[in-house]
Amino acid sequence: MARPIRYYMLMSSLPALPPLFHAKQLPISRLRLEQRLGLLEGTDAAELDRTEKLLSWQRLSLDVPDATLVEQAAVVLPRLQHPAVRAIVQERLELRTAVAALRRRQRGGPEPRQGEPWGHGRWVDHIRRHWRERTFQLEPIFPWLSEAERLVRAGGAAELERLLMDIVWTRLTRAVAGHYFDLLAVTIYVLKWDLLERRLAYDGGAALERFDSLTHEGLGDFDRPFEPSG
Amino acid sequence: MDNLIIALGWAGLYGPMALGAIGSIIGCAIAGQAACGALLETESGHGRYIGLSAMPSSQTIYGIVVMFALQRPVTVASAPGLAAVGLLAGTALLWSAVRQGECVASAINTAKAKPEVLGLSIAPAAIVEGFGVFAFIFALVISAGIPR
Repeated sequence: MARPIRYYMLMSSLPALPPLFHAKQLPISRLRLEQRLGLLEGTDAAELDRTEKLLSWQRLSLDVPDATLVEQAAVVLPRLQHPAVRAIVQERLELRTAVAALRRRQRGGPEPRQGEPWGHGRWVDHIRRHWRERTFQLEPIFPWLSEAERLVRAGGAAELERLLMDIVWTRLTRAVAGHYFDLLAVTIYVLKWDLLERRLAYDGGAALERFDSLTHEGLGDFDRPFEPSG
Repeated sequence: MDNLIIALGWAGLYGPMALGAIGSIIGCAIAGQAACGALLETESGHGRYIGLSAMPSSQTIYGIVVMFALQRPVTVASAPGLAAVGLLAGTALLWSAVRQGECVASAINTAKAKPEVLGLSIAPAAIVEGFGVFAFIFALVISAGIPR
């Protein structure tokens, strides 16, 4: 009984997360979040760490080749104890595999060879077999794939990212229904927090760009006031 | 056999109090931990959270009252009735205290994000309390039929 009770304190100590696309700032900093997550017991903290290592972009190095990531997923996923957490990770990796396939094809990359470690999940072989079809015949599984394919083809990277974030956020919100004070609730809170942080970071870049543009417009001809005229 | 019946009679006599107390311990611990978590996150309303977390303690009081209502010489004639009423009432009180603790934890978690819904968020805990009160009242009523 002592272990589940711990979650009551942890979940109540975390602020509610705002809607993904309406948030202006993070409701809790990473440092403070880590402090609160210190309430987790060792095994649960390790489970959360494994989950984040697989899913959090912030913790994935861009230098790591796909094969290493696929191998890492194959090793770590079966070690996740909580079946619902495992299902969430599996689903997310499959989503990334489908999007990676779209991007690879759009780049003109070669069709994956049989046995090539390029993606994870149940649809890797299916995608390879239907490589030349617009949505790899996966629309019944991923209804958003048609829209994602259109955006990849049109080069709408920002819109695609927004679409994917929206899909993941909605899936996480559905998965946590009925779970308020358990490991799944904590894991989904952290995954949503990661997503929120990433979304706000993107907006920070956009804000900087906008600021530069406005500054340039505002200064006009006076952008070099100390330069001798004539 | 008589000794077993007498032992069950004593268990039934002390059961409502003991089971009610166990329920209150668990319920108050659940709600109390949620209240402590909310203290970390909020700047005001701390007293309300701690006060709410004491809600599941009422089941112990009901258990004490039922125990006194059941009090009579424990004989082979009275023991089966004492065991049935006492243990069943105690189980109901235990369960209602635990579940009430969970409802209070959810209420605290909700009120922390939206303080204006605190009153409404306590409603589920109050409903659970109502079922505990039913078990308590009808244990008192039915105890009158147990032979003295």
